[in-house]
Formats: sequence, structure tokens, C-alpha cells
Amino acid sequence: MNNVSESVLEINGLEVVYSTNRGDVKAVRGIDLDVRRGEILGIAGESGSGKSTLAVALLRLLKAPGKVTGGSVVFNPAGRSPVDLLKVHGEELRVLRWSSLSYLPQGSMSSLNPVMRVQDQFKDVILEHAPDRRNSLHEMIPRLLAQVGLEPRVAKMYPHELSGGMKQRVLMAIAVALEPDLVIADEPTTALDVTIQRVILQSLADLRTDFGVTLMVISHDMGVHAQLADRVAVMYEGELVEVGDVRQVFKDPRDPYTRQLIESIPKLGRRAS
Amino acid sequence: MTADAPPVVVVDESQDSAPPPSGVRVWLSRHPLAAYAIRRVGLYFVELWGALTIAFFFFRLIPGDPIQTLIQTLQQNYMYNQQASTELIARYQQEFGLTGNLFSQYLKYMEKLVLHGDLGPSLINYPTPAQDVILRALPWTIGLLGISAVLAWIFGVILGAIAGWRRGKLGSAIATNLSIALSHVPYFFVALILVYIFAYSLGVLPARSAYDSNITPGLSLEFIGSVLKYGLLPGLSIVIIGTFSWILSTRMLMVPVLGEDYLVYAEAKGLKGWRILTRYALRNCYLPQITAFGISLGFIFNGNVLVEQLFNYPGLGTTLVTAIQQLDFNTILGVTNIAIFSVLTAVLLLDLLLPLLDPRVKYWK
Ligand SMILES: Nc1ncnc2c1ncn2[C@@H]1O[C@H](COP(=O)(O)OP(=O)(O)OP(=O)(O)O)[C@@H](O)[C@H]1O
Ligand SMILES: [Mg+2]
Repeated sequence: MNNVSESVLEINGLEVVYSTNRGDVKAVRGIDLDVRRGEILGIAGESGSGKSTLAVALLRLLKAPGKVTGGSVVFNPAGRSPVDLLKVHGEELRVLRWSSLSYLPQGSMSSLNPVMRVQDQFKDVILEHAPDRRNSLHEMIPRLLAQVGLEPRVAKMYPHELSGGMKQRVLMAIAVALEPDLVIADEPTTALDVTIQRVILQSLADLRTDFGVTLMVISHDMGVHAQLADRVAVMYEGELVEVGDVRQVFKDPRDPYTRQLIESIPKLGRRAS
Repeated sequence: MTADAPPVVVVDESQDSAPPPSGVRVWLSRHPLAAYAIRRVGLYFVELWGALTIAFFFFRLIPGDPIQTLIQTLQQNYMYNQQASTELIARYQQEFGLTGNLFSQYLKYMEKLVLHGDLGPSLINYPTPAQDVILRALPWTIGLLGISAVLAWIFGVILGAIAGWRRGKLGSAIATNLSIALSHVPYFFVALILVYIFAYSLGVLPARSAYDSNITPGLSLEFIGSVLKYGLLPGLSIVIIGTFSWILSTRMLMVPVLGEDYLVYAEAKGLKGWRILTRYALRNCYLPQITAFGISLGFIFNGNVLVEQLFNYPGLGTTLVTAIQQLDFNTILGVTNIAIFSVLTAVLLLDLLLPLLDPRVKYWK
């Protein structure tokens, strides 16, 4: 265990700006954050606080007019040397994707390619990064689907034949297919109804147990973090206002904004029941 | 109790009504694709019949007397007796299917067309049947326009996809603006420029006819080489303009797809760029291009009149122009019928093909 660092990700002074014709929007303003190996780290914060921006910047999926203006993101994949995610390019970055760093996108309803069967959307990414698994695909795909509570026949279906919850689970199964070091999940439950939300949260927790992946779970819903996370980081207007053990934060929030977020949970609970 | 009653009635009904139709219906509901195909092919025949009928009556209603024209031609050419005998006129009217009222003419025309593939004699080439005149020109048109259309589509879709993919880059901007400028330039204008450069200034390529008249037509290498050489300029003018318009439309279809979530997801997956372009981007936007291609293939059977005229190419376009000048109704109607037939057939084939290409196209409704 000598070259396995305790942190999977070390974010230092990350800044992201969107340059619009109405001036620059500083969406992420100097964030420092470590993601520890094997943990589930929750990122909380209201809508517009910069959570998704942080995620796509880490994943190097930031699109114009967004631009990283400062900081470093050191990534320590197991069995590979540490890299600054903000400095890798081209082939080096492409090889790193999915096998080490995968993504469960927000608004996952339209993230699957509508003209490809589910199994082919597993296949292309697996074969791209692990071509030697070609012969085990036929057992691998049903096993991954079963892991998130889906039947094997889902493999043969097209995205438009799946419900929202099923799509979300398919994406979860694809995210862990190559047993990455880190999965970044952006609002994994937001578009789903409450019963499905619980199932998805349970599956996410199971994924950590079964695959030992590190999860970064973004959600505006403090209830999600209460159920799932080990630690939680609270964002407000692009800055981190509080990071800590989830129980500690809930018991004794240091920042008034965090308290406000926590107080909004019971309301949600009442509406759901 | 009320819930028990209806099923009994239903069972009785199904036993009363004849079993065979329900058997067919069951089979059709089990094979939705076959049911769809049968319905679609049935519709095709109705469309075909309707369009051929409209074309027939349309041309009969155009003023002008083809027989009078023929007699005049014969008189001029062979110095006929001033008064053609009424007997002769009657014979021609018989042959051109102009006896009886309009409806019986229509029945006779359709009978000859459907049962014998006979379009009646051509006026300009009397007594050669119009179908022979058309069949002589058809291979030239299919060869020139068909191959050019296929090439233009392939080049255009590939280049358009790349132009969309690399939007924002200099090369893409150049290709796009060039396409906007050139896709609406008429074919013949490009043809004239090509003729000026390659035939007139450089003198390397021939600009008239379909092959060297010193070579006897046949399956010889020499003849085929000559056909290719003579087809190069007219073909090129069509390919160039066609390619630019396909580039433009493919790019337009491509750009919105590039903003889709599944493209970002494909990038996050770390797939190779070429694979994302073909399997994710192009695969989601090329269907309209296939439809458009099928329809454009149908239309080439009208011939590309201007290009064929300009290069004196012996295709359908040239035949059509000559036929119109001489009021050769059987030939005009024949060319129209071929165009109708090919457009409808192309659309039929596409409709049968699309459910297989895109899982989201529903064929059962
Ligand atoms: N493409 C863009 N152009 C300009 N500004 C943007 C763009 N995307 C995001 N922003 C701005 O950046 C800020 C952060 O947005 P972001 O999407 O990261 O928020 P979020 O915390 O993920 O919100 P939500 O919970 O609603 O998903 C917002 O003020 C938003 O207006
Ligand atoms: Mg977001």
C-alpha cells in the first residue's frame, strides 16, 4: 500500500469563471478540498452555488464560456502516478477517463445515446479501456445490471424503452463498470420520485461496499447527504463554507447557511409522505 | 356479477364471426413489422395509381393536336399529298390511343401501360414506341446523374459531419461559408466554368456528347474509358454543387446534436473522437439525410435538363426537352411516369428501411 495515497483527489484553489456578455460570472471561487480514498463525500449547496461547475471542471468537461482560471487538482489513481487533472491533455486524459475517473451526470435522462442498445453503451466504454475483457462481456453486463437491481433483459433495450429510474440505474452500472478510483455523481436523485430516490441511494451505498469506489455525490438535498455521505462539503456562491463529518455537521453546523440548508429537510420530508 | 357477463358475450362473438379473418388478424398483430410493410406497400400502389391517373388527364387537357403536328412533319419531310386522307388520320388516332371519349382512352392507356409496359408510339421517332426512346436515354441519365448524386451525398455527409464536429475551427468556417456561397449556384454555372477551364483553356477534357463517336459502343475498355472521360465534366459540375449543399444541411443537422447530453457523456467515457463522431453524433442526425437522398434519387429520373443540354448528353433531360418542343405526348407522359414511379418507389423503400435504422421510428402506428 506504499504508493496508494490517502487522498484520491486534492483540490487546491480551484477557480472557474464563465465569461458572458454581461460580464464574468465567478462560479467557483478558490476551493480547497480533499477527497479521501473509499469515502462518500457529499457536496451540498443551493441551486446555482457552483456544484455542477465544480464537477465538470474536475472531469475536464467544462465547455465554453466556462474557463478554469486557477488552482490545481491532483488525482491519485491506484497503481498510476499522480496527475494534475487540469494539466493533462489529449490521449493521456482520454486514457484516464472512466477507467480511473467516471461520471454520473445531472439530468441523466438524456445522457444515454438514443440509438444504441444499453448493452452497446456498456460495450463501447469497456472495450475502449479494457479490450481484454471482450470475452467476459456476456457475464459482465448482466452482473453489473443486477448490481443496481435491473434484470438482464434491460441490456437489449433502447433508452426510450426505460423509465427514468431505470436509466439512472443503467448509468450507475456503467459508471462502475471499470471499477474507477472516483465516481462523480451529480444530483443522482433529483429528477426521480421519492420511492425511487431511496432505492437509488441504497444502490449507491451498495456500490461503495461492492466495488470500493470513492464517491463524490452532489446534491442540493441535505436529506441525501444525511442518508449517504460520510463527510459533507457545503458550497455557497462558489465558495466552501463548511466541510466536515456528516454527523458533526448536522449536529453542530458552524455556518448559518448550513443551518438553513439543514432546516429545509423536514419540510421536504413532510411533502413526500 | 356484471363483471362476469361481458366475457361470455365476447367469447360467443368471436366464435360467431368467421375464424379465418381473426387468424389473419392475430398473425398481423404478432408481426407488426410485416403488418406495417403490407399496409405500406398497399398504400404505395394506391399512390402510384393516383399519380399516374392525374398525370394522364393533366397531359390530355393541354391544348395542341399531336396528330396534326405529326401530319405536318410528315408533309414537310416527305412532301406528302396536301390532304392527308382521313383514313390516315384515323389510323394515327387509333395508334396514339386518341379514339373514343377521354375515359375509354384512359382505360386503354392504363391497360397497355400496366399489362405490356407500352407507352404508345413516340411522335418524334415515329413509329418507335416511346418506351424504347426512353429506355435508350435512361442508362445515360442513371449513369451520369445517379453516380454523381451518390458521390455528392457521400462526400457531403462526411465533410458536413466533420465541419459540424470541428465548428469554431478555421477549416470548418471556410468549408461552411464556401458551402453557403456555392450550394445555391446553379449547376450549369459551375458547368460553364469547368468547361471554360478544362475544355476551352486547357483542352484536356471533352465538353460535348457522351462518348467519342469514333469508338463503337460496346463492352470494350476503350468505350468505357471514353464514357468516363466524357462524363467527367458534367458529372463534376453536379458533384461539386451537390456536395456543397449536402455539407450545409449535414452541418445544420449535426450542430444541435453536438450539444446533447449524450455527447458530453461519450466524451466523459473517454471514447476516441472518431467513434464519438460516427456512433454518437452522426448516427443521431443522418436519418433525415437518408430520406432526403432517397427523394433526390427519385428526382434524377427527370434528368438534369440544363446540364444535359449544355453537354449535349443523350439522357432523359435532353429527350424530355425535345419531346416537349415537338408535343410528343407519349414520350412526355412516359418520362413523367418514370419520375413518378421512381420517386414513389424510393420513398417506399425508405419507409420500409427507416424502422430498421432507428429504434425510435415506430412502424406499428
Ligand atoms: N454556461 C454557462 N454560462 C454562464 N454562466 C453559467 C453557465 N453555467 C453555469 N453558470 C453559472 O454558474 C453558476 C453555478 O452554476 P452551476 O450549474 O454550477 O450550479 P449548481 O450548483 O450545479 O446548481 P443546480 O443545483 O441548479 O444544478 C450559476 O450562477 C450559473 O448561472
Ligand atoms: Mg448542478
